[in-house]
Amino acid sequence: MHKLASLLFAIGLAALLIGLAAQLPLGMTPMVVGQAILEQAPGETGSANIVTSVVLAYRGIDTLGELAILFAAATVAGLVLAPSIHAESRLRAKPRHDAGLVLRAGSDLLFPLLLSVGFYIVLHGHLTPGGGFQGGVVLAAAFFVSFLARPARQPSHVGIVLIEALAGASFIGIGLAALLGGGAFLQPVLDKGTLGQLVSAGSLPLLYLAVGLKVGAELSGLLAHLAE
Amino acid sequence: MNALALPVVLPLLAAFLVRPAGLASGSLARWFGPLVLLLCAGMLVDTALLTHGQPVSANIGGFAPPLGIVFYADSLALLFAIAVPAFALLLWPREAMQAGGDRISALMLLLVGSGTGMALSGDLFNLYVFYELLAVASFGLVASSGSARAWAATVRYLLISGFGSVLALVGVALIYAQTGTLNLAQLSEFAPERLANPLGLAAFACLLIGFGVKAELFPVNAWVPEVYATAPKRVSALLAGVVSKLAILVVLRLILLVFDLPEARQSLLVLGLIGLVSGELAAWRARDLPRMLAFSSIGQLGLLFMAVSIPGVLGLIAALAVALHHLLMKPALFLLAERWSGGLENLAGAGRKAPLAAGLFTLFALSLLGVPPLPGFWAKLVLLLGLGQQDAVLAQAAIFGVLLMAVVEAHYLFRLVGLLYAKTAHGAPPHRMGDLAVASLLGAILVASMPLLPALAQGLGWMAHQASDVAAYRAVTLGSTIPGVAP
Repeated sequence: MHKLASLLFAIGLAALLIGLAAQLPLGMTPMVVGQAILEQAPGETGSANIVTSVVLAYRGIDTLGELAILFAAATVAGLVLAPSIHAESRLRAKPRHDAGLVLRAGSDLLFPLLLSVGFYIVLHGHLTPGGGFQGGVVLAAAFFVSFLARPARQPSHVGIVLIEALAGASFIGIGLAALLGGGAFLQPVLDKGTLGQLVSAGSLPLLYLAVGLKVGAELSGLLAHLAE
Repeated sequence: MNALALPVVLPLLAAFLVRPAGLASGSLARWFGPLVLLLCAGMLVDTALLTHGQPVSANIGGFAPPLGIVFYADSLALLFAIAVPAFALLLWPREAMQAGGDRISALMLLLVGSGTGMALSGDLFNLYVFYELLAVASFGLVASSGSARAWAATVRYLLISGFGSVLALVGVALIYAQTGTLNLAQLSEFAPERLANPLGLAAFACLLIGFGVKAELFPVNAWVPEVYATAPKRVSALLAGVVSKLAILVVLRLILLVFDLPEARQSLLVLGLIGLVSGELAAWRARDLPRMLAFSSIGQLGLLFMAVSIPGVLGLIAALAVALHHLLMKPALFLLAERWSGGLENLAGAGRKAPLAAGLFTLFALSLLGVPPLPGFWAKLVLLLGLGQQDAVLAQAAIFGVLLMAVVEAHYLFRLVGLLYAKTAHGAPPHRMGDLAVASLLGAILVASMPLLPALAQGLGWMAHQASDVAAYRAVTLGSTIPGVAP
């Protein structure tokens, strides 16, 4: 009975939302802010990727909020999953077997590749699709792979905590530097350079690097907690 | 006023750094959070003094709105923004001061940063981001007592909150699809033309349900009793006292700026009335103190939603009075309930062993009921006056409902006070000094506000006038020139 009621509720809600969506003028939505950003973004931020200029410049504090949400989720997971000290020592004592030769060799090959792809995506975020969030996930995947091949070798907790903290702090630090320099919080600083060059768009690539490292550390930390 | 971003950002920075600080030194991590909160509260008070309560705005990132995100601080926003770090300091969880409490410290700091952001932000999607952050941080705090029941309650809270967030996001998307902007000031310009239609009302309903989860609005408040009964009492106090008011502040801004429609106000009145009646009746039947307080909190917030539904300045004054009254009362009541959990019958005679706690409880109960000359009476009176101004049948039914529920409230609160002073031996442990001190402080503020009521009423009236001035909101946030974005 309860399940039937839930199902009916879900169907009703879905029908309601679809009904609402059907009334929207899809394809003809008013482009008030959107059009203005399309026209001004490359000149104002120096970033060839307009999504990046929205994510890091126009709505930079939203991105900071999203980083903080990710951090909060990882902290909550740590709080709930953190084993008591006794349970941890018991787990540590249990020997874990490595995966076979093929997996180990494969992971050794993949690790540097994934790292370089991850950093490539992060550092080209202001030029091409991609950026800190996507690249950060690839970076975390590099550590996932090596962890799957060698479960006994735990990723260092202290290292993850430090990277996570420093990456988040440097994102805010860049914002505060702009504030101290007499601008607004998170105002893009540094020279904009030439549109489309790797070294361009001022502080936006630095912000994306901080985002990438933070996302990577956050996800690796989550994996470490789940593994315990 | 670029520094307006600091009280939002510094707690986030501190939250990121609290764990490395804990690796370096335990006591550093313990005192880091409260010190940062003190600094933030000081900065906000400084802003209020500097501006004399006149509205100011800050463009985040240096981009003029509506392209960039804008923070807007009038006296209403500053009042609630100051309340967030101040109450977080008063209600700083005991767990955060113990060894290994750095995670809880970090979550508290995130809660404060996002809460302050919710009070200040003038951008709909930015509000949603801060609301999400607030929600995720509160999940961790609620679960931090670590018992299985607390986890079960948190999972329920998480599911309801997640449902609400999805609906709020749908609401934001519906508004963006209709208007092409997310800036509240610009939305207020477009609203009469583009949002006064069924689709706009649907967007409002989605946002109301979404933000209503934290404000214990009627259909999405099923998480409240279990969470407040199992979470650490200081966290319950913070959620019921401060976090619920921030959600209401967002709804208030939406009603004032964007959805100034009779249908939107009616839906608030109906949902508020149902919340009031169901909450008070459930509190009447509750068999332990934390649950009774949780249900009564649902009822009180129902009252607040009814106040928000009253149009005009009088409605705003009523909403502010009810909100501030509840902001003082509920944290204090939850602190007193810390040692009085368990069945109500166990409380018989507890007041004789703890005279100060019982005295404070009686004072708060009387004010909650609205016994003159306590401030609760004036709050309810303004609300009833506001409702009486309207001739709609609904408003008259609401007046009847408020009065009837006051009788129900009186019955269960007096029954409880009678129990506290019953002539039986009682073995409950005494209250902690810290809890009693905070409760006494809040009680003292309540009593001190009685002789100051004329000045307070004047202040609230001025604040309400300022908050309802939509033209000023637009002028301050968008500036004199609106950049080339013709609709």
